[in-house]
Amino acid sequence: MTKIKICGLCRMEDIEAANLYKPDYVGFVFAEESKRCLTKAQAARLKAALDPSIQAVGVFVNAPLSQVLELCRNKTIDIVQLHGDEDEAYLTELKNSVPNPVIRAVRVQSAEQLISADSLPCDILLLDTYDAKQYGGTGVPFDYDIIPRLKHPFFLAGGLNVWNIVSAIDACHPAAVDISGGAETDGVKDPEKMRTIIDFVRNYRDKGLSSGRFGPYGGQYIPETLMNAVSELETAYGLYKNDPDFQSELTELLTKYAGRPSLLYYAEKMTKDLGGAKIYLKREDLNHTGSHKINNVLGQVLLAKKMGKTRVIAETGAGQHGVATATAAALMGMECEIYMGKEDTERQALNVYRMELLGAKVHPVTSGTMTLKDAVSETMREWTKRVDDTHYVLGSVMGPHPFPTIIRDFQKIIGKEIKEQLFEMEGKLPDAVIACVGGGSNAIGSFYEFLEDEDVQLIGCEAAGLGIETPRNAATVATGKIGVFHGMKSLFCQDEYGQIAPVYSISAGLDYPGIGPEHAYLNAVGRARYVPVTDDEAVSAFEYLSRTEGIIPAIESAHAVAYARKLAPLMSRNQVIVVTVSGRGDKDAAAIARYRGRDIHD
Amino acid sequence: MIKIAEAFSHGKAFIAFITAGDPSLELTEQLIPAMAQAGADLIEIGLPFSDPVAEGIVIQDANERALKSGCTTDRVFEMLERVSPRVNVPLVFLTYLNPIMSYGKEKFMSRCKKCGISGLIVPDMPFEEKEELKSVCKKYGVEIISMVAPTSQKRIAVIAKESEGFVYCVSSMGVTGVRSEITEDIGAMVNTVKSVTDVPVAVGFGISAPEQAKNMADLADGVIVGSAIVRIVEQHGKACVKPVCEYIRQMKEAVTRS
Repeated sequence: MTKIKICGLCRMEDIEAANLYKPDYVGFVFAEESKRCLTKAQAARLKAALDPSIQAVGVFVNAPLSQVLELCRNKTIDIVQLHGDEDEAYLTELKNSVPNPVIRAVRVQSAEQLISADSLPCDILLLDTYDAKQYGGTGVPFDYDIIPRLKHPFFLAGGLNVWNIVSAIDACHPAAVDISGGAETDGVKDPEKMRTIIDFVRNYRDKGLSSGRFGPYGGQYIPETLMNAVSELETAYGLYKNDPDFQSELTELLTKYAGRPSLLYYAEKMTKDLGGAKIYLKREDLNHTGSHKINNVLGQVLLAKKMGKTRVIAETGAGQHGVATATAAALMGMECEIYMGKEDTERQALNVYRMELLGAKVHPVTSGTMTLKDAVSETMREWTKRVDDTHYVLGSVMGPHPFPTIIRDFQKIIGKEIKEQLFEMEGKLPDAVIACVGGGSNAIGSFYEFLEDEDVQLIGCEAAGLGIETPRNAATVATGKIGVFHGMKSLFCQDEYGQIAPVYSISAGLDYPGIGPEHAYLNAVGRARYVPVTDDEAVSAFEYLSRTEGIIPAIESAHAVAYARKLAPLMSRNQVIVVTVSGRGDKDAAAIARYRGRDIHD
Repeated sequence: MIKIAEAFSHGKAFIAFITAGDPSLELTEQLIPAMAQAGADLIEIGLPFSDPVAEGIVIQDANERALKSGCTTDRVFEMLERVSPRVNVPLVFLTYLNPIMSYGKEKFMSRCKKCGISGLIVPDMPFEEKEELKSVCKKYGVEIISMVAPTSQKRIAVIAKESEGFVYCVSSMGVTGVRSEITEDIGAMVNTVKSVTDVPVAVGFGISAPEQAKNMADLADGVIVGSAIVRIVEQHGKACVKPVCEYIRQMKEAVTRS
């Protein structure tokens, strides 16, 4: 496993963070030109507080040998790292004087230089970026391709951060990675960044073995019985995703059948009422079947048909994905069975009837908590029984690879349209894109096109139920931790023993204890942020949008509307927020009426 | 810690499964030595998980009963520390990745070693994800048992080549549970495994009757029975030790006849 060194610790808080997240090594810098330079006394204090399982590396640039030896002998440091122009004689004398391992840093310029460094009397090499003006801490990576085969194990340094660490390890397989600036915010160590980067490296796995990773998240954690089915899907998708016939057939379905592109609507009254940023609504509720789910379903059912499958199965929470799947199955002549938590069949009785009307068979799931997570488990079990003729149409960007990628690709049309439509209307990019997140398919669909436009804030709204300070919520990013479930490594709400926690939200579609792996990644690297929205706030937004704009949003989408209400007044009038209205709210009317104390049943 | 190979060293092996903590840990503590005494050559202990996706309804319910009775990973380890010195057959865990990760891989394996768990079956860790536990298992001498399924085809040889302990041959598609007949060509699967490894092969999923067990034992080195035993535990509750042992004796006898 790749080890981790966090370099340049200089405050007691840094040590506390290291003791908590346990890198393998920490670096104390003794080079006067560094802003992280320590005195002997400061270093001794830090070392005394450091967890004994973590080794302290002393980093020197052309220091007198006596200083290095003293710090080794009084056990302030366990390992010596030489970062200056120390020559072979210096190294030899050091090795002869103390038993401590020695790391020789090389500021990489050429393969020849590395080969010659490889013969030095040291224990480990450290490969850093070359900069004529400074000895280290350049903050940029170098070209890993020039690294030759080395006899010595080596540490990799130079501009490593959460964004590039995984690909850096992939590119050169170092014994350890050395991170300094990548674990800092505004020049000081940031415990949260330290935790994330350590999490990434510890959960890193060789690319050759497991595919479909987003940083450490994703993967294929499924029973052997399903492995061939997902490999078959991966191959088929690889084939069809670039096939012009498949793509034009899908485009035809999306435009002529589902009604794309969906409108980007300027919510003028809402904008005026909130008195801040201009608000646009991406109207996925206007799609055929009333939500964004149709985008993914048309793609997957078409793919299944091309693969020669004759039967599709799917899980559903609120029923939107079940209805969409049943619709596509009816259109394309496939047999269709839907698994739905028994509690949800009662909450969304009308959707059960809709699915049946479309020719699907609906199975109420009575295991576990009888909600969405159990519906997913049951559909997976059903799939293990019949993989030959059956495709599992997963409804969100979750599950084993390749599902999170396939579903994101089928949903990314949302963001692509937003970009084009807004450019036409405003001539600019949005300042923020807001979407609700359960598994996260409408959110990733809205975000994906903007990932590289770093000025666009991406905000996912999680269901906080009765509040994240209570156990009655489904806010995975706010309250979950890393784990493996439903075929993926991601964040999950769970107890101290890793038992998946029962979650709660007024919205059956967000009532899921996990989040798609790409969202976990975007959260970890800070590209998107995820905010909790309570039942109360969502219901209030549900009513607000209905009255203000005459648009009844799905209760799921109302979570995104609720956050827009908070954010817009804080932004200026020349800024733009796009809120994805992922679905329409007719299905929720009776439940919201009951929430408000009116006893209506549909 | 008794080596898994030990279970296969005196003829065909009968492997029995129970869920820890179903209906209570006290009962599991009585069952384990009694099952070994009755003829189980290896005991698979299910460490409960809230959402066991590879299990049929019988074992799902057992997991739920165990968790409801307050069974936790720590309490299972404590129980095993008490009971394993009295058991002379190898013990393995069947559980999912999340309880292991959440407990801490290192801590989990070191406790396995301490309380005599020789191997792990992790249904949601296929060959591609084995790296997740490989090095830490190796460090503590805990063997990872690999599964092969009727759909594994070309994967069988790849998986078997790296196998240790025994190869768990899944007899039928679907989840665990009792089946009236097994239609897959088990002989061919076993032969593929045997062509690349000397590690023993045991067949599981769907086996409940002595005659089925005998037929499977004819083809492989051992037979695994889970749901049929868990069902007896469910029916008899606190009084299940006697009927479970009676059933194991019958099954062991059938396996020995092959």
